Amino acid sequence: MTRTVPVILGLGVAAVVTVVLCTLTGPAGFGIPSTGPGAADIVGGIRLPRVLAAFFVGGCLAVAGAAMQALFRNPMADPYILGTSSGGALGAALAIVFLGGLYVPVFAWAGAVVAMLIVWSIAGQRGVISVETLLLTGIAVSFFFSAVVSFLVAIAGQNVHQIIFWLMGGFWNASPGDALLAAAILVLAGAALFAVGRDLNALSLGEETAAHLGIDTARVRWTVLGSSTLLVAGAVSIAGSVGFIGLVTPHIVRMLLGPDNRVVIPACVLAGGILLAVSDTLARSFFSDISVGIITAFIGAPFFIWLIYQRGHVA
Amino acid sequence: MSARDRIRAENLHAGYGEQEILKAISCSFVPGTFAGIIGPNGSGKTTLLRAFSRVVPSAGVLTLEGKDVRDYTPPELGMALGFVPQDEERPFSYTVMQVVLMSRYVRASRFTSLSPDDYARCRDALKETGTTHLADRSIRTLSGGEWQRVLIARALAQDTPVLLLDEPTSHLDLAHQAEVLSLLRRLAGVGRTVIGVFHDLNLAALYCDRLIMVCDGRIVTDGTPAQVLTAQRIRQVYGAEVVASCHPATGRVFLLPVHAAARPQGTARLNVTVVSGGGSGASLFHFLAGRVFALSAGVLATTDTDYQTATALEIPCIPIPPFSHIPAPALEELGGVLAGADRVVLSAHPVGPGNLPVLLALGEVDPARVVVHLSEGRDFGSYDFVKGIAEAAYRDLVDAGARCTATYEGVLAFLDGDAGGPEGREP
Repeated sequence: MTRTVPVILGLGVAAVVTVVLCTLTGPAGFGIPSTGPGAADIVGGIRLPRVLAAFFVGGCLAVAGAAMQALFRNPMADPYILGTSSGGALGAALAIVFLGGLYVPVFAWAGAVVAMLIVWSIAGQRGVISVETLLLTGIAVSFFFSAVVSFLVAIAGQNVHQIIFWLMGGFWNASPGDALLAAAILVLAGAALFAVGRDLNALSLGEETAAHLGIDTARVRWTVLGSSTLLVAGAVSIAGSVGFIGLVTPHIVRMLLGPDNRVVIPACVLAGGILLAVSDTLARSFFSDISVGIITAFIGAPFFIWLIYQRGHVA
Repeated sequence: MSARDRIRAENLHAGYGEQEILKAISCSFVPGTFAGIIGPNGSGKTTLLRAFSRVVPSAGVLTLEGKDVRDYTPPELGMALGFVPQDEERPFSYTVMQVVLMSRYVRASRFTSLSPDDYARCRDALKETGTTHLADRSIRTLSGGEWQRVLIARALAQDTPVLLLDEPTSHLDLAHQAEVLSLLRRLAGVGRTVIGVFHDLNLAALYCDRLIMVCDGRIVTDGTPAQVLTAQRIRQVYGAEVVASCHPATGRVFLLPVHAAARPQGTARLNVTVVSGGGSGASLFHFLAGRVFALSAGVLATTDTDYQTATALEIPCIPIPPFSHIPAPALEELGGVLAGADRVVLSAHPVGPGNLPVLLALGEVDPARVVVHLSEGRDFGSYDFVKGIAEAAYRDLVDAGARCTATYEGVLAFLDGDAGGPEGREP
């Protein structure tokens, strides 16, 4: 409790430093490139938007992950668990295969939202939506969409690479508009989730517990599902499906600060942003701009395995 | 049913999906009650509690403070009713204090911190449940009993007029059971309505003002513990044999399970009469009650523990009023019983002027049919309160050939037929 404020302040300072350092880092080394025409444009016009887009998308995924984990009472839940990422990937793949790559972000967004809606409507058939039903439906829909994407990959021919890149995620084409969009979604949905932070705490001990504590569980559930859809669909439409940020960041934050969601949610904005900005900078500067999803998986998967072995400390 | 009713259910039906668990439940609770819901496993106790708190949907009348429970908004309900579950998932490492503070969410503004009053109330609740020392511990490190007390603390800090508890003592040790139940009684004493589901009937009888026995989704009986907990009803509802008696220390009804063997099948081999007094025969009655004997007891004062035990085990005896000399008809009856007995067991007991005639009456019985039980470490003199007359009478019996043994097994061996020669032990 007592270290909450210093840790959040520290994360804030670290976020600013990260954005600055990442912007200054490139394949040519560290610092502002002094040679060549347009060097300043590279830093201000290309790198900075990309770093900021990565930062805000990281924040979106981490916040969505924290909220999902609390809602599903499962520290292993993932923001993609309701089929969002496979829906986004399917939308993108459709646009690539049938529209020749036009409107890919729009289709990715629509795919993610449609996937969420399908999962909700199937899970909500019997009136009350149970968390277990939602999870299982999400997994089933996810597999189905992935199968459709695989089918599209098989018939895509020329466009296979584009789909693959979308599946792994990256910020190659990040524009200032993308950074702004991600920031706007993050502020909007993040604020909504922060507002139900206490309710999420109660809900993370069980739906009945929360109801007995006077919490409007239905409203909180819709707030979480709606906000997460917005966050994850936004992230997918900008960067494709980048894994592990939404899974791992909330864990790190809870280890540092405990599980109170009024603290976890703002801290996840900063920590998720730092993690994805650094990962993207690594990918861009040292691995000839490979997909950032590869970097997050490289770091995230072993970390996740370590977490499983540390179950006793899993916050 | 009165205007004071805090909770009122009329013809309440509830269940999960198609399956109806509760059928036509009608009951009501006034402020200041500590009521216990009891009943066998799967009878609908917990469902009844959860129907009250609205987490199980129900049909029929269900009002809280005169208003339909379904018309409450979630925060209104959270301020009216607290619930202690039997257990609760602990997926995240909240501290105990954080969990208890959740009780104050319903009263706090969404955009401000919890107030110092909220913290103070929660610290009080921790203190009341003896969990102050756990305040900063992670809930994942608590034992089942500690966690249960924290859940009770959280419901206390919620400050609701109604408190519902699902087996609140199931994980607690003896001391904490008493502590928690006393606390709940005190809460009822200051006007809260406390309703708990209990498995331990004796604890429920000891602390609750009122018991509601549920079986197969219906209320079987509703009343004071003494009205509800009768041996006959326990047999009907639980299918268990118990002795229901009044606990001498608490004045409350209490139940004692009787060993299944206490209701022997088959025909009695022997008529056995146990002569005892002052509580000396009670455990012997229990020891012999399961065997194939036609048992009877001697003359017993109605305040004697032996009398209560004999009555509970349905062993016939000759009752007399307490603190009086034995009336002549009773002595005559005893003479008849002793004459008709195949074996007589004399459980050595204190003898004074009042009951001396019983001991003397044994002098008329053939000593070969008598076995005297004298506990290890005692002698006949220690039972004599008539200046040596009783001691002499005991000795005469043994000298005349009655068997004397210090163990129940010895008594049984005698009854089982080796009534041969006296094996006499010199006390």
